[in-house]
Amino acid sequence: MKSKILSVALCVSMVAAMLMGCGSSAEQAPAAETENAAAETESVETEEAKTTASDANAEGGYELALVTDLGTIDDKSFNQGAWEGMEKYAKENNISYKYYQPQEGTTDSYIETIGLAIEGGAKLVVCPGFLFEEPVFTVQDQYPDVHFILLDGEPHDADYNYKTGENVMPILFQEDQAGYLAGYAVVKDGYTKLGFMGGMAVPAVIRYGYGFVQGADAAAQEMGVDVEIMYNYTGAFAATPEAQAMAASWYQNGTEVIFGCGGAVGNSVMAAAEEAGAKVIGVDVDQSSESDTVITSAMKQLSVSVYEGVKAFYDGSFPGGATSVFTAENDGVGLPMETSKFETFGQADYDALYAKLSSGEITIENGTEDSTTADLTLAKAAVSFVE
Amino acid sequence: MSVVYFIFQQTMFFAIPLLIVALGGMFSERSGVVNIALEGIMTMGAFTSILFLNLTGKNMSGQGQLLIAIVIAMATGVVFSLFHAYAAINMKADQTISGTALNMFAPAFAIFVARIIQGVQQVQFSNTFRIESVPVLGSIPVVGDLFFKNTYITTYIGIGILILSAVVLYKTKFGLRLRACGEHPQAADAAGVNVYRMQYAGVMISGALGGLGGLVFVVPTSTNFNATVSGYGFLALAVLIFGQWKPGRILGASLFFGLTKAVAAAYSGIPFLNNMGIPSYLYKMIPYIATLIVLIFTSKNSQAPRASGVPYDKGAR
Repeated sequence: MKSKILSVALCVSMVAAMLMGCGSSAEQAPAAETENAAAETESVETEEAKTTASDANAEGGYELALVTDLGTIDDKSFNQGAWEGMEKYAKENNISYKYYQPQEGTTDSYIETIGLAIEGGAKLVVCPGFLFEEPVFTVQDQYPDVHFILLDGEPHDADYNYKTGENVMPILFQEDQAGYLAGYAVVKDGYTKLGFMGGMAVPAVIRYGYGFVQGADAAAQEMGVDVEIMYNYTGAFAATPEAQAMAASWYQNGTEVIFGCGGAVGNSVMAAAEEAGAKVIGVDVDQSSESDTVITSAMKQLSVSVYEGVKAFYDGSFPGGATSVFTAENDGVGLPMETSKFETFGQADYDALYAKLSSGEITIENGTEDSTTADLTLAKAAVSFVE
Repeated sequence: MSVVYFIFQQTMFFAIPLLIVALGGMFSERSGVVNIALEGIMTMGAFTSILFLNLTGKNMSGQGQLLIAIVIAMATGVVFSLFHAYAAINMKADQTISGTALNMFAPAFAIFVARIIQGVQQVQFSNTFRIESVPVLGSIPVVGDLFFKNTYITTYIGIGILILSAVVLYKTKFGLRLRACGEHPQAADAAGVNVYRMQYAGVMISGALGGLGGLVFVVPTSTNFNATVSGYGFLALAVLIFGQWKPGRILGASLFFGLTKAVAAAYSGIPFLNNMGIPSYLYKMIPYIATLIVLIFTSKNSQAPRASGVPYDKGAR
């Protein structure tokens, strides 16, 4: 019986290894093929596009498409924000829209699903997540008449050669500014022992964390207090007893507020906070409705950015070929002050800080090469990085 | 001292679900049916009971609500495990395959139904079940801090299940027959025991405990249920083997797993452990390395039920 369990475990790990192997090796093959394919399809595609463009509605196709990454459209963060933005524009203007979910999280599967969306009549495909960087790199040449919005990434191939086609609008956020706002606000509000629990160390999460640390440091300098920050990447975007126990141990050790920055990791932090009577900072969207312990959220305006992108497409001013960055300057990031539970940090303080961020008076280090914050020079904040 | 109490309380959050689910697995395997569907059963039990918490959250709270949720979780586990029982016992299917099928089915079903009912797949609940301090008992020095503070009623239910399991397995007619079916079903049959009925009983008990384990797993660690129990069903199988299919040893194994996992997760908040400079990877490896070592030394005289995993064939000699 033991050998049976072992053999099952082995089978599972072998299948997993094979799938992963496919993911990376398969990227090469289609990349090479697509050059021919692109040339072939070009002529056909353009004709098709002409016909579909005129009578897409008559055929009953879906003009707007969203392809999800690993999550679903109701993940309360990334995909949902993008979906809501697209849905809003589509409903206002009576345009058909639909979402597609890939079978598995590989580049091949993403490309296939994007192809499916385009066959279904899509003229604009929204791809939320940095996992779409490679798929979009391939499909931007394959379907030159279809437009793409890529959230949180810029198209590149497997060897990190970046190229953004005229039909692609990559959207990046300055998460570091949102993190900065949150870090600054909580220290100004009197908290001195902070924590940061990220999910995986992907660029967006790292930027949040770096901004958070520097914001806390800046506020600590102004107030002349010392700030301690516990800092960790849990390595997954899931709610686990491990994440809960880590958060609980930080609270137990005196940490007052933890920035739960990684999807469901935040839910484990909230569970620990409810137990310890401590506080949480939410991420991506306003999470105050999920737990009373959430004092504020470091938000990026996902739905606004997608809405703007879709609108630009229909207005004929699609900003393809160049990356659109949403920052404090164009209200792309921020804190939800209406639902925040600050005691001394008020709207006026927030507006003053926001103005400094948008005017570029405050600059934030957001290098994502090293993720341990060891490369930051901090005056009053001490970071203990937890592996 | 407060650090010791804290670690102990955290250990319980890890150990109790593992204990309950591993005991469930024990009943199934002792009757001769391998149940690797524990992960799926946990998911289903957690799903229906958390959904109940979600739907009644406005009108109910506290321990009464949790107790009803426990009953629902166990009932769901029993119903779900019947699929496995039917395939493994009546149809004589390969037990690992039917178990795997259930493991794959459960999260898909949970997501599908959650979406139909409420539009999103995360099922939210509000946790009103934590016991700050048990009246009277909580004020006993040391013992009160260890066992009766910052706890859940499920912790005591888990301990109760452990004692009950040991008694049932070793001190009752039912337990003797169950064990006989796992060791040599033909002999048990010859002695007049209905092997099919005993195996059904074993699998259904494992379903009830698995479903309960799912609920116990989710409640302290999150604010919503997202169709996963993070592989704890499989970990419970490791605990079962580590515990050599015996209730007392399973308790030891789950406490050991719970302690090492709690320390691995919580060491960064404990100055003493954090300053020792031991890489976190070491803490995370300990339970698995220990399992390997124990298996190496015990595999020669392993206590696995002899007929476990073999479909019972009445006509076989």
